[in-house]
Amino acid sequence: MASFRRRKAVIAGVHMTEQGDLSGASPQQVYWQVVKGAVADAGLQLSDVDGLIGPAPEGLGLRGTLPGAAMADLLGRPLRFQAYTSVGAASTAAGIGPGIWAIENGVADVVILPTVSAGKGSGYTSADRGAAIAHMAKLGTPYEWLWGTTRVADHAVIAQRHMHQYGTTSEQLAEVAVAQRHGATLHPLSVMGRKGEITVDDVLASRMVAEPLHLLDSCIVNQGAGCIVVAAEDRLERARPRIRMIGYGQSHAYLDPNHLPDLTTFHGDVASDTAFGVAGIGRDEIDVISISDHFTINVIVGLEEAGFCKKGEGGPFVEGGALRIDGRLPTNTAGGYLSCTHAANSGTFGLIELVEQLRGSAGARQVTDAKLGYIHGVGGVFQSHFAAVLARD
Amino acid sequence: MGILDEKFLPPDDMPEFHRPFWEALKAHRLEAQECENGHLRFIPTEICPRCGSQDWTWRRLSGRGSIYTFTVVHRAPTPAYQADAPYVVAHVELEEGIRVIGNVTGCEPGAVHIGMPVEVAFEDVSERWTLYSFTPREAA
Ligand SMILES: [Zn+2]
Repeated sequence: MASFRRRKAVIAGVHMTEQGDLSGASPQQVYWQVVKGAVADAGLQLSDVDGLIGPAPEGLGLRGTLPGAAMADLLGRPLRFQAYTSVGAASTAAGIGPGIWAIENGVADVVILPTVSAGKGSGYTSADRGAAIAHMAKLGTPYEWLWGTTRVADHAVIAQRHMHQYGTTSEQLAEVAVAQRHGATLHPLSVMGRKGEITVDDVLASRMVAEPLHLLDSCIVNQGAGCIVVAAEDRLERARPRIRMIGYGQSHAYLDPNHLPDLTTFHGDVASDTAFGVAGIGRDEIDVISISDHFTINVIVGLEEAGFCKKGEGGPFVEGGALRIDGRLPTNTAGGYLSCTHAANSGTFGLIELVEQLRGSAGARQVTDAKLGYIHGVGGVFQSHFAAVLARD
Repeated sequence: MGILDEKFLPPDDMPEFHRPFWEALKAHRLEAQECENGHLRFIPTEICPRCGSQDWTWRRLSGRGSIYTFTVVHRAPTPAYQADAPYVVAHVELEEGIRVIGNVTGCEPGAVHIGMPVEVAFEDVSERWTLYSFTPREAA
C-alpha cells in the first residue's frame, strides 16, 4: 500500500463572490457558488472534495453540530475529514494549518475552506444593522457590556493607551486607512473602492465613533463569501505557480481584558515567531502581508505583534505610505476589512489576496515580483492569533 | 422586550462563582477574589491564574484607583445607551493592582485623561441589581 506521508500540499484554489448586500440571496445558494468557484479555480471538480474546514451550509437538525456528516448527504458520499479552528474572524483562514496537515498526512486529498455571509441572518450576522451592532456589543462579559461598550470602544481603549504609552498619533492611524483605500480602488470586488481615494484629512474629519477612532478608522459591515481550496499536489493538473504554506503558528492570548497586564501587548509574537521559525526565513524577506484590520489601530499593533517593528514603533512605521502597494511593506493590498470586505470570517479574504499576489495574478494591485507572503489573523480583540508564511515555488 | 429597548442588566444564569461579586455590590462593596497565596484577581474565575489554587476568599477593595485607559463613546450599542452619549468607558487601575471597567461620571467627558484619580460609586438600578461607576477624586 502506498505511503501518503510527506505528500505535498498546495493552496490550489481561491474564489470570492460579490461583496456588499447579499440579503436577497440564500446562504446555501452562495455557499455552493463560492465552493464551486474555488474548486474550479484549482482545476478540480466538486466530486474531488473530501475535506472541509468550518461549517456546512446552514440547515435543519444537526447540520450545525455535525458539518462533516451534513456534507456527506450534500455531496452524496462520505467525507474524509472535517475540522474547526477558533480564531474569531480569522477562523476559516486559520484552518489552512489543519487543512494542509490533513493532506500531507494522507487524511484527505482536497479540502475546502468556505465562509459565507448572506441572507437575512440573525444576531450579530443580522442584515438589520442596529440589531447586529447590539448583539456584537454583547460578545464579551457583563463586566464589559453593562457600561455600553461596543466593538469600536473595545479597540478605542487600546488605541488611546497606545497613543499615551508610545506617542502614536491619529494621523498615523489615518495613514493605514489611506494606504488600504488605494488598494481597494484597484480591486473590482471591493466594497469601498468605487468611492475613490481618501486622504488623512478625510479620515480625521469623518464622524467620531469612539475616541480616538473615527468612522474611517473602522471596518465596513457587509456580506459576501470566500473560499480557499487546499489540495494534494499529485491531484493538480493545471500549470500555474504553486503556492505553499511554509510556516504556521497560533497564539491564544487572553479572553478578559482585566487579565491582560498591558493593553498594548497581546502575545501575537508567539504565533508569528512559531511561523517564522518553522519557515526558516526572516521578516525582512517578506514581500507582501495581510493583517487583520478591524480598525486602523489593529494594523499598527499587528505589525508590532508580528515582529515587523518593535513594540511601540508601529505608528512611525506606517508613515509616508509605507503600507501602500508600492511602499516598503505592502499590507492588505486589496483594501482589507476597512475598504475591501469584512464579510463572514473575513480573514479568508486576506489569505485570498496573498495567494493572488504570490501567483502574480493581482492585476493593477500586483506587488512587483512577490514571492513570500505573511498573514497575521486575529480573533476578537487580539485575543487569538494565527500566523502563516506563504511561498511561491 | 428586545435587546434594543433598555440598558443591559447582568444575566440571571451566571456561574455560581460570580454571584458573591454581585451580592457585595448590593451592600455597596467592591470585592475581588483572593487565593490563599494572596493573589488578587478580577473578573471572577474558578482557578487562580497565578498559582492554580481553587480556593479563595472575597476581599473588599478600596474602590480608589486611576484611569489606565478610556474612550468617549459617541456611537452607542443601542438607543438606550445612545441617550447618554457621549459617555466615558474607562479601564480603572485600582490601588490593589487590578483593573476594572466602568463608566466615568461626575465630570465632562472632555476632562477625563489617563492617570486621572477616580473612586467607585454605586447605583441601585433595581431591586435585584446594584451597578457601579467611577467619579473623579482628589489625589491623595
Ligand atoms: Zn494564587
